[in-house]
Amino acid sequence: MVNCMDRNEIINELRNIFIGILHHENFVMSESLSAAEVDGWDSLSHMNIITEIEHRFNVRFKLMELNKLNNLGNLITLLEAKLQHK
Amino acid sequence: MNLLNELVASIVSGAGHPAFFIHGQYYSYANLEEKLSSIKNVIQLNTVESEKNIGIVTNDDLETYAAIIAIWLEGKAYVPLNPANPKERNESVIEQACIKTIIDSSAETTFPDYRIIESKKLTKTSANLTPKQTNGDSLAYILFTSGTTGKPKGVPITMANLQGFVNAFKQLWPDINEQDRCLQMFDLTFDLSVMSYLIPLLHGACVYTIPKEKIKYLHIYELMETHKLTIALMVPSMLHYLRPYFNEIHSEEMKYSLFCGEALPLDVTEEWSKCVPNAEIFNVYGPTEDTIFCTHYRFIKGSNNKSHNGILSIGKAMPGTRTIIIDENENLLVAGQPGQLCLSGIQLTPGYWMNEEKNKEAFFTMQNNGASERFYKTGDLCMMDEAGDIYYSGRIDFQTKIQGLRVELTEIEFHAKSFLNKINVAALALADGIGNTEIGLAIESKKFDTASLMGYLKSKMPVYMIPKKILFEEVFPLNSNEKIDRVKLTQLFK
Repeated sequence: MVNCMDRNEIINELRNIFIGILHHENFVMSESLSAAEVDGWDSLSHMNIITEIEHRFNVRFKLMELNKLNNLGNLITLLEAKLQHK
Repeated sequence: MNLLNELVASIVSGAGHPAFFIHGQYYSYANLEEKLSSIKNVIQLNTVESEKNIGIVTNDDLETYAAIIAIWLEGKAYVPLNPANPKERNESVIEQACIKTIIDSSAETTFPDYRIIESKKLTKTSANLTPKQTNGDSLAYILFTSGTTGKPKGVPITMANLQGFVNAFKQLWPDINEQDRCLQMFDLTFDLSVMSYLIPLLHGACVYTIPKEKIKYLHIYELMETHKLTIALMVPSMLHYLRPYFNEIHSEEMKYSLFCGEALPLDVTEEWSKCVPNAEIFNVYGPTEDTIFCTHYRFIKGSNNKSHNGILSIGKAMPGTRTIIIDENENLLVAGQPGQLCLSGIQLTPGYWMNEEKNKEAFFTMQNNGASERFYKTGDLCMMDEAGDIYYSGRIDFQTKIQGLRVELTEIEFHAKSFLNKINVAALALADGIGNTEIGLAIESKKFDTASLMGYLKSKMPVYMIPKKILFEEVFPLNSNEKIDRVKLTQLFK
């Protein structure tokens, strides 16, 4: 029941997705975490991460929404909003 | 008017117009003139005439672009150094190009052992844009690309080469003016950057850069949407990333949409043409050795566009370039016969930087109408039709491209084998899920933890060359010639 998830559960799920795509755990899930700080987080892994999030949470992002994301906090907030409106 | 005089005239007459949009801020041509004058002044004071090659740290800021022009006006060449690349690789470039001075706009330099011009800390000087008198043989830049033996190889490009490119560009894409907004998505170590900043600056237009920390394809969309870009040169992999969102993209202002660096699929181009309904779309092609790009094919919407195996033709030679196809014995092939594409003409490099062995391999001369004509063997397997349009069908060696950047698979194998001692490896170009290329490394061994291997590779090669996938096979499959069966190995990754 992904649409009932709280922020911590979303963070845990996202962490698993990141590890699955990036093949490492060398990052801390802080609100300010950005792609540039994480080893191997490039255009390709970003796209794969977004695709996997869409699949696991059963949501769909718009390019305009993705484009505004600057850090993990932004992503979680966007995801929460999408889950609430499902 | 020669290139540098034209550039200076454009900077002076453009004074109040925006020259750059970097990190959310506009910089005018007057700002550019001020920065480059002070950098030029310091180069003049601190370097001797014989010091020809100056290093530039490839930061995304006004000072770095100003430094390029300052170096040119001082009659010298720039050699880009990406601080994110391994120290050892940058040191090899610095040593090979005999660099003594590096212009660095970083807050703290990554090159403390060299003479540094801190371009952010210079005081304002009076305007100083007079170019030094040089001839066309003087170098504009030297770019270092992946080399098969683990050592990057230098490709020097002269001012005459660059002038040849600019002249050809103007004939083919004449409609550029000070109202244009142009994308610059490339690191300065990649020669597509040269077109992306130089052509706009020559026309008084504005250059829009991509901050290094941004996800490129998302930021390109941001610039298209918010700033209504009119001219964009991209690598096709950006299209693959954007493709799921094509229905959200509608850029009526785009007038020239160029693609280079990788094979451009026809179906994706057809879909993209709906996103940029008023743009002329071109597939352009060329190795660094022939100055940025040297062939062009115009995609016509709704027309029967020329393609081979779903890949758009790379078209005909640009003005000043000649293209031929040869067999293994350097015999000229006729239309319709596949062979190696070779290039000659005004844009062709004088030869690899201090590398006679490589020059003997890659260049040859052919008699043409009683004159000797020098050609470069591209290593690209191509075919030319009766109309002179060229179709790319693959490589004759183990080179591949990652987002347009050249990668010698043997260089990756060289470093991996150096670390693993006697264990055999094969680096392979794999197709990822969306049609881009990624590197896989097959290791002939039982499974082991690759963390230290990956750490070693990262200390030797730029990030884009690091394998994304690892495969362990206790025994590599062999083909009928008893060589590693790279096709089978590639399939085993899936």
